[in-house]
Amino acid sequence: MPLLDLKDVTKDYHLGKTVVRALRGLDLHINKGEIVAIMGPSGSGKSTLMHILGCVDIPTAGKAAIEGTQIESLSERQLVAVRGRKIGFVFQTFNLMQTLSAQQNVELPMIFQGIKKKERARRAVEQLTKVGLADRVHHRPNELSGGERQRVAIARALANDPEILLADEPTGNLDSESGETILELLKKLSTEDGKTVIIVTHDPDATAIAGRIIRLHDGRVVEEVSNV
Amino acid sequence: MFKDFLMLAARSITHRRMRSWLTVIGVFIGITAVVALISIGLGLDQTIKQQVAGVFGVDTFVLMAQGSFGPQSHAGGTPDEYALDLQYLKSIPGVEVAAAVRQRTGFVQGPTKPDGSSTQGFLPVMGLSPQLMDEFESFTGELSVQPGGRLFVAEDVDVAVLGADTAERLGAQVGDSILVAGDDNKELNLSVVGIMSPDDESSTSDTNSGFSAGMNFGGGKDTIYVPYDTMSLLWGEANDVLVTLVRTQPGSDVNEVADRVEKELTARGSELSAVTYSDISDAIGTMTSTVSAFLAGIAGIALLVGGVGVMNTMFTSVLERTKEIGVMKAVGARNSHILTIFLIESGLMGLVGGVVGTLLGLGLSAVASMLIGRFFGVHMAVVASPSLIAITLAGSFSLGAVAGLWPAWRASRLPVVDALRYE
Repeated sequence: MPLLDLKDVTKDYHLGKTVVRALRGLDLHINKGEIVAIMGPSGSGKSTLMHILGCVDIPTAGKAAIEGTQIESLSERQLVAVRGRKIGFVFQTFNLMQTLSAQQNVELPMIFQGIKKKERARRAVEQLTKVGLADRVHHRPNELSGGERQRVAIARALANDPEILLADEPTGNLDSESGETILELLKKLSTEDGKTVIIVTHDPDATAIAGRIIRLHDGRVVEEVSNV
Repeated sequence: MFKDFLMLAARSITHRRMRSWLTVIGVFIGITAVVALISIGLGLDQTIKQQVAGVFGVDTFVLMAQGSFGPQSHAGGTPDEYALDLQYLKSIPGVEVAAAVRQRTGFVQGPTKPDGSSTQGFLPVMGLSPQLMDEFESFTGELSVQPGGRLFVAEDVDVAVLGADTAERLGAQVGDSILVAGDDNKELNLSVVGIMSPDDESSTSDTNSGFSAGMNFGGGKDTIYVPYDTMSLLWGEANDVLVTLVRTQPGSDVNEVADRVEKELTARGSELSAVTYSDISDAIGTMTSTVSAFLAGIAGIALLVGGVGVMNTMFTSVLERTKEIGVMKAVGARNSHILTIFLIESGLMGLVGGVVGTLLGLGLSAVASMLIGRFFGVHMAVVASPSLIAITLAGSFSLGAVAGLWPAWRASRLPVVDALRYE
C-alpha cells in the first residue's frame, strides 16, 4: 500500500464567482522512504497538491489517502491530528516565530501534541544537533543566517518524528551553498531515517537528490521520471 | 500546555511593545478611575460608619417617628412627632435607660424689668430627659452652659435652661424666673438655671457629637430647654416626641429589644420605628454603595473604551500574524489552541492594565483621603481590601479576554490554506 495515494483528484477554488480548477483528475502514489520532487511552472497546481498531501486541504473530487485513510472523510480535528503526528512542513520563507528561540521554535509542534517540557527540550536539542545547530539553540531567527533558519525549520518539521516531510521550495530563498546543505540534509533524512521527503521545487539541484521527479502542468501529472 | 500558551502570548506582547503599552494605557485609565472611585466610596462608608458606631455603641437604639428613617423618609421640613409613654418604655424587659426629647411652641414671658415691663412671645420649648446629658453624652455632645449656670439634673422640675438668644431677648439671667404657658391654661414659673454657650446650641459642628446633628434639638438659640417631666406638667401626655434614645441592659440583644419595644409601643398607639446601629449602618451602606456604583458606572465608560482598544489591537495582531496562525495550524495546532493563545494575549493586556490601574487608583484614593483630611478635618481610610484588588484584577483580565474574544475566534477559524498563502 502506498504511503500517499491520490486517485483522480480534482481541486476547485472559488474566487468570487469564478471557479479556478487547480488540479484536474490527478493520480499520484508515493511510497514510504521515497524522495519525490514535484516540479512545474507557476499555476501548475504544485502548491495545491502540496496542501492536499499535507492534509491542510481536501480534494473537491477524487480520493486522497494517507496510509489507507481517506483524508476527505476526516473531520477538521482528525486532519489536525494527522498533520501533527505524520507530517512535517518546511516552507520557502522558513516561517519561524520571530519571538522564539531556535529551540522554542522546534518545541512548538510538540506543545500542540501535549508533550512535557523536559521531553520537548531534549528532543528539540536532539533535532537541532542533527541539523548541525547544537550551538545555536538559544538564538532567535534574526540572529541566524538563511541556511541556519531553514535548518531550524527542518528540525521543527522533525519535532514530532513524522513519516512525511513536505518541503515547499526549501532552497528558494537560499544561496547555492546553503541550498546544497539543505538538500544534503533532506537526502540524509530519507536514506538514514527512512523519512518520505516530498519537495516542491524549481531548483534543478533538488532533482538530483530525488528518486522520482513528477512534472505538473495545468493540474495534471504530465511527466514522471525515476532517477537511477 | 497553558503555561506554554502563556509564554507564547507574553512573547507576542513584548515583541510589539509600543502597541501593547498604548493598549494597556487605554485599559488602566479606566481601571484607575473605577478603583479610585470605589476605594473612595468604601473609605467614606467606613469612615461614616465608624463615626456612627462611636456615637451609637452596640447597645443603643433610637425611636423615631414612623417613616422618618430609611429610603421612604421625609426629606427636610418639620421632624415628625409621635406619642410616647416613657415610663412604660422603661419597664419593657431589656431596657436599661431611656431618654426622650419632645418639643412644643409655647407662650413665654420673661422676667419683669425694672421699669415693670417684660418681654413675651411664642418660642420653641424643648423637653429633655435629664438622662440625655448623663447617659447619652455621645449623642448630645458636650453641652455646656455659660459660667454661673448649670444644666438640669434628675430632681429638677421648675427649671429652665435658655438658649443664648432667648436669654438675651427675654432679658433673663441665671436665677431669674420666666413664665411658660402650656395647654389648658397650665402655666409654670420656671427658674433659669443656665444659659447655653452659643457654640453648643447649633450642636452640629462639634466633631465629637457627630450624630447629635440628627437630633439638633430644634437647633435654635431661640429654644427654651426644660426637664421632660416639666413638659408633661405643661402639655400633658407626650404626643410630640421627636426622638427617644434607649440603652439596653448588658447582655441583651439590641435588635431583639428594639423589635420588642417597637412592637409593644406600636400596640399602645405610638407610631414609631426602632432604629438600631445596624439599620443606620445598612442605610449608610446602601447610600454610599449607590453613589459609588453610579460613579464607577460612569468611570466604566472609560473602561469600555479601553476594551475597544484591546479589541482593535487584537484585530491588528491577528491580521499581522495570519501566516503565523497558518504555520501553527500546519504544525498541529487546533482551533481551540489558537483561540486560547489569543485570548490569553488579550487577557494579559487587560491584566497588566488592571495591575497598573489598581496601583494608580489606590494612589489616587490616598491623595483624595489626604485632601479630605486637610480640608474637612476628617480622617478617611484608604480601603484596599484584598477582595477589591482580586475582583479588579480578575475583571481586568476578563475585560481583555472578552474584548479579544471576537478577534481570537476569527483567528482560530482562519482556513489553514488561506492563512499560509497570506502575504
